Amino acid sequence: MVSWSNQRKFLILLVFLGPTLLGILIFNIYPISFNTYISLTNRNQFHPNPDCSVGLTGVFEPTCWGVFKEHTTRGLATPFHLQEPIYQNYSDLLGDFFTKPVLIAFFGIVVCFVPLIVAGRINKRFENQIDRPVSAGVVTLLAIALGLVLAYLLKAPAGLDLIMKSGDFFVVSFRTILYVLLCIPLFFIVGLAFALLLNSPNLPGRAFFRVALIVPWAASTVAIMMSLVWKFFFQEHGTINQLLSLVGGKPQIWLNDPTISFGVVILANVWYTYPFFMVVILGALQSIPVELYEAAEVDGANYWQKLVNITLPLLRVAVIPVIILSAITTFQMFGTVWAITEGGPSRGAGTPGATELVMVYAYKQVFRTAAYGRMGAFAVIMFVFLFGLTLYSLRVSRITKGAYD
Amino acid sequence: MNRKVSRRTRIFQYAALTAATIFAVYPVWFIVLASLRAGQDLYTLDLPGMFIPTKASLGNYQAILFQTPFLTWIKNSLKVATFTTIFCLLIATSASYALSRMKFTGREWLLIIFLAIQSFPAVLALVPIAQLLSAMGLYGNHLGLILAYTVGTLIFCTMNLKGYFDTIPIDLEEAGMMDGCGPVQSFLLIALPLARPALAVTALFAFMAGWGEYVLASVLVPAPANLQTAMVGLYQMANELTVPWGRFAAGAVLIIIPVLLVFLYLQRFLEGGLTLGGVKG
Repeated sequence: MVSWSNQRKFLILLVFLGPTLLGILIFNIYPISFNTYISLTNRNQFHPNPDCSVGLTGVFEPTCWGVFKEHTTRGLATPFHLQEPIYQNYSDLLGDFFTKPVLIAFFGIVVCFVPLIVAGRINKRFENQIDRPVSAGVVTLLAIALGLVLAYLLKAPAGLDLIMKSGDFFVVSFRTILYVLLCIPLFFIVGLAFALLLNSPNLPGRAFFRVALIVPWAASTVAIMMSLVWKFFFQEHGTINQLLSLVGGKPQIWLNDPTISFGVVILANVWYTYPFFMVVILGALQSIPVELYEAAEVDGANYWQKLVNITLPLLRVAVIPVIILSAITTFQMFGTVWAITEGGPSRGAGTPGATELVMVYAYKQVFRTAAYGRMGAFAVIMFVFLFGLTLYSLRVSRITKGAYD
Repeated sequence: MNRKVSRRTRIFQYAALTAATIFAVYPVWFIVLASLRAGQDLYTLDLPGMFIPTKASLGNYQAILFQTPFLTWIKNSLKVATFTTIFCLLIATSASYALSRMKFTGREWLLIIFLAIQSFPAVLALVPIAQLLSAMGLYGNHLGLILAYTVGTLIFCTMNLKGYFDTIPIDLEEAGMMDGCGPVQSFLLIALPLARPALAVTALFAFMAGWGEYVLASVLVPAPANLQTAMVGLYQMANELTVPWGRFAAGAVLIIIPVLLVFLYLQRFLEGGLTLGGVKG
């Protein structure tokens, strides 16, 4: 590009980027830093008010700023201050995690995943070799078997139990990870199956089915409304029970059952998200050259062999970024779960309900018990984790590159 | 490709596609059916009534339109979503152009920071945002909500548009610069007209972000009823035990069906527009 003088270039950049940067500074960077500061204080329902003279409170708290003084309302409760020691919220949240037995249990669980990682490495190494000694599937299966044996030997379930007992944080985190791990394969399988159906050659009515199958994506833009419909299906006087009573079955309150309500939340999320996978996979399928399949047919390959050896490997480039992005959004799932179960069914006071995923837990803690300080720490931990995932996704999807790179 | 497909395969394909279509469309169709059943009829469905309208009446629509502030809610939602779209496009287009076309130190860092910010849990940013807005005197009114929505969708819009600008060949602009176009002219006169399809899709998504959002709206404008957006108003109505559910269904149909039609009309742009941006809406 033609080069300009530095000063002019800076000015032009400022005009183009300034408003965006300003907005992000006020509504993104500021809340994040404020949250981080609050995570170091004891702000909660008993200490809700700021004391502008203490520490950095005067800098971060908007009601302390001169311009906004007239909107200040002060309660009588004692103001919040920095925790003593300063990481108190974090250690409350993580509970007994950093004690010896729990750490050993955690290490044991991590070890169970080592065979899978090794298998991934081996498969990657032999990826493009025709005369590989064993197929990738065999290696993966062996790794899973080995992992299960290790899990049995190292008493992984008992270890998991021990970790869960050390704090709500681990209960909701593991549950959310389980939720993501169950959702993602379903997104992929349903999306792939529908895309393969739509991609079959010379199918009359293809355009109609393509539009029909994309409807949930359109509906997901008003997800909160559709989630209430999903809730109605499983309510006491809902559709499923009406169907059951028509055929003489016994109606029940489905959303009172922990496992079923977890399943319902997964089902609703699959309904919302599979079209995204379907559209991406369909695009990728259409870019696979037909010659590859014809060559495979000459060699006598059947449908499954073609699917496993040609289609799936060639889909990988398109699908992996989508998987990571939807893993991040699924991890942060809030509205759908809130509308369907509100985190319930309850498992007794003080313990998170059966569908209380991380964001539902955080929302309840903030808006029902006003645990600002502790939830600030929660947010910081989640942020670090999700940021790591995002950075990883950048490596695979390369969206930060400009037109010139 | 011109291969014979056996009859059995075809039958299997259509059976599977029909099942898939029922799975995909039934929840939306159900809400249409529910909206046509007034009063308690919804709770005593018969088998054909699950699939076709049997006792159709427009009572629910009459009730929602004239006995509730539904029209006000719709007006509020339209206002909020429209201004969100306008602000977002105004700000995001120039930023995405700069990020795609201009070379400057820290560009990659800026994009990484954008994505990092998006990974901060929105639910937990609610409290600081609510505090900031109430300090500015914008809590509980539409301007505050519009500002929060605009910035909330800004990163998505920027990334999406940048993805599209990246695919437009640079040659045209370089030719323009040879003829003496500055960066502002080449942006306004060359790149912007070329990016029209992406602008349409991005506008749609920004609009939908304002139209369908619930959590921020329920925290920032919780009451009174004449300021609420349609999502918040209807959500509260659906959870009130005294209001028949069919009435909520009628409101939901009025909200969902226009969205559905616009979305399905524009869906052919989605594949290119969204997968290039690489960010999900």
